[in-house]
Amino acid sequence: MAALTPYTYIRCPCSDVSAPGRPLDGSSPMAAAADDNGAGDDDDRTFDPRAPRSNYSLYPLEYLLYCEDCHQIRCPRCVAEEIVSYYCPNCLFEVPSSNLKSEGNRCTRSCFQCPVCLGPLAVTSLETKPDPSLLAAPDNAAAPHAGPYALTCSYCHWTSAEVGIQFEKPNGIHAQLAKLRNGGATRLTAKERKERRKDPAYRTQAAAAPAPATAGGEEGGPSSSAEVLDLETQFANLKAFYQGQLADPNSADSGLAALSDLGFSSPTSLSRIMSIYTGGGWQDKKAKSRVGAMREALEPDEGLQPARLDESAAIDRLRSEGHGATASAAQLRDQPPNLGEAHLHGRARFASELRPIPYLLRTKRSKRCPVCRHIISKPEAKVQTTRFRIRLVAGSYIPSIAVRPLPLSSSSSSGSGGSASGPAVVPGALLEPLRPAHYLLTFKNPIFEPVRVTLGAPARTPGRFASKVTVLCPEFEIDANTDVWDEALKESGERDRDKDRRRRRGEEGGGQSSSNNPHHSQLEVGKIWERGRNWVSIVVEVVPASLRLAPGDPPLREDEDVLEIPMFVRVEWEGEAGGDDVGAAAGRDAAKEAREKRELAYWCVLGLGRIKQT
Amino acid sequence: MSSKRHSILPPVSQTGPKPPVNFSSTITIADSALLTGTHTITVHGESVIHPRARLDSLAGRVTVGRRCVVQERATLGAAAAVPAAAAAAPPAEAAAAVTLGDYVTVEVGAVVEAGGTVIGEGTVVGVGARVGAGAVVGKHCTLTAHTEIAAGEVVPDFTVVYSNGMRRTDKRGVAELKNKGLARQIDVLRRMIPSNPAKFA
Repeated sequence: MAALTPYTYIRCPCSDVSAPGRPLDGSSPMAAAADDNGAGDDDDRTFDPRAPRSNYSLYPLEYLLYCEDCHQIRCPRCVAEEIVSYYCPNCLFEVPSSNLKSEGNRCTRSCFQCPVCLGPLAVTSLETKPDPSLLAAPDNAAAPHAGPYALTCSYCHWTSAEVGIQFEKPNGIHAQLAKLRNGGATRLTAKERKERRKDPAYRTQAAAAPAPATAGGEEGGPSSSAEVLDLETQFANLKAFYQGQLADPNSADSGLAALSDLGFSSPTSLSRIMSIYTGGGWQDKKAKSRVGAMREALEPDEGLQPARLDESAAIDRLRSEGHGATASAAQLRDQPPNLGEAHLHGRARFASELRPIPYLLRTKRSKRCPVCRHIISKPEAKVQTTRFRIRLVAGSYIPSIAVRPLPLSSSSSSGSGGSASGPAVVPGALLEPLRPAHYLLTFKNPIFEPVRVTLGAPARTPGRFASKVTVLCPEFEIDANTDVWDEALKESGERDRDKDRRRRRGEEGGGQSSSNNPHHSQLEVGKIWERGRNWVSIVVEVVPASLRLAPGDPPLREDEDVLEIPMFVRVEWEGEAGGDDVGAAAGRDAAKEAREKRELAYWCVLGLGRIKQT
Repeated sequence: MSSKRHSILPPVSQTGPKPPVNFSSTITIADSALLTGTHTITVHGESVIHPRARLDSLAGRVTVGRRCVVQERATLGAAAAVPAAAAAAPPAEAAAAVTLGDYVTVEVGAVVEAGGTVIGEGTVVGVGARVGAGAVVGKHCTLTAHTEIAAGEVVPDFTVVYSNGMRRTDKRGVAELKNKGLARQIDVLRRMIPSNPAKFA
């Protein structure tokens, strides 16, 4: 079993059950609980870290942002994102968003991914360079690479020459590739298509030499008399045909025109569909011209493409080359749509038909608070820099909580009064069931004001196996995050007294404890364990539950043996008056004063370790 | 300018018996290569054995073809990870443990297990790859980094094994070109690696 290092996850309040889909504002019960008078209804409901919903609301502190104006934690789920810039991850070239509309979301330079293994492709010359070591070689070794180029993958050794794609120039690959079909045949442009339609010579030639000429190398299609149209040509033909039909004025009005409106091939449905693609408004057309029944496309010129249902070629190929020659679902998913290809009717997808994938562009995004629209994270717009202009991370506003097992014999524990000897806790070790273990929680204050922390944890963890939890010091104050040098200078003066420092501070921290205790390693209720410049350590005692299952119980689920403690953290401090009351946690009554009492409350989950299974 | 670089690794310690060797006069073998075993180790012409490469002939003969490169910490003739497979191999006295064809590159940290393993001409065994005992790898194959070929497996010619055992056929047809490139690389390596075949004789 994998060892588990203790962790702390913080629950973003945005996922509160009672305010679904809405960020936290003043009216939500979470804020009510955080209010000063707040015996809110959330208080008696313990957060269950094992609830399925909790999966989506728990984040490590590093993932969280903080809105300075709302004084609230913001998680990746509850921020509004805005795209700052688009760039290609391969060439780091920023793409203007205007290009994006016209050219799509892929890199239009020469950045391609291997369709087989997703590795980056490089342009290489197919021409073998004459070996300079051979004396017989002609003396043109200094000549640059020439001849056809291909994209090659240096990892899996795929090359675009395999699918018959070769390039004349080593640059502008994207534009060259757009003109090429698999097998090296050039893709027709719209103009060429039109010319071909008009040209009767081409039509007769195409009819005379049907399938072998058009099917291409890897298609090997069945010999049908119909020309194999690629998607683009077919659409263009169909469009021309139906537009001709719509424009045709002498279509007879039949008596059943009203009924035929509903049919699949009725003119109105067709004109509506056409207008979806061609962009014209269809309502006015319908109003002004009620055309009669149209005929269907009958020829390839009109866009008729009979489905080729003969799959024997594909089956034969599968027989000869096996499953390995087919493209996997993942490979097909990564393929960009290619309009230059024929229909998939009766064709299997083979790995030999995969085309190079232009790199998908990536984005840099800024993040806004969804409530007050303030920017809480904004990266530098330049692609090459990884810095941020604005980034309000939660780690610099709310105390971090570090969990560490306390290597201590529990004989002196006043919290449990239980077993006489506990084993020393090593990190990652399994927790013994029913034997008290101690964990040190170190709260570190990142802000420049002293904060007062109040902790609340259920006495028993929720879930099937309820472990007992005792927070030995649920209320304490952490000093401000002052200058490091202050502390360093202070430290040098009292280094000799370092030994009793911890004890002394422990006493001063725990307000209600009175007795002066000689054993400084003793645990005492209401006392903090250790205190530093801007941090405080307290002790949590847990008595892990036994994982023994009663007969008939469902078996242990995944990670059900991890001891997780939900803990409600309330942080109070006096900050400078921000002057807005969008944030819920800001004390509204104190808003008039120069110094304002602030408050933040949230649930967090402490994962301590796995309980040993007996 | 001193070209002497000192390794931070502990010095190579020769353990085990010293094998009989059969070196071509044109090979380059580093001083700190490790040759152990009881059977003959044959290295054909113009091959390069990097420092700390380990050739182990305890289980049988180790043959390295012409113009091969065995890089650092690569192991030829390692004891089989699965002993059962080794037992299946013929335990004849003069059995070949590992046979490398010509133009084979065994990259850093790769392991070729003993037991009649054959690696065909022009094949590249990638960084940290492992070829099981008795496997027969065809000609001009590429085993990318950290791939594993199971014991006794037969890999056809021109196979590329990539990304956790996916396979495809190399259709580039650049075998000749690759061999030329390797020849040039060997030219450089011969100048870089001080050769000391006499140490192993």
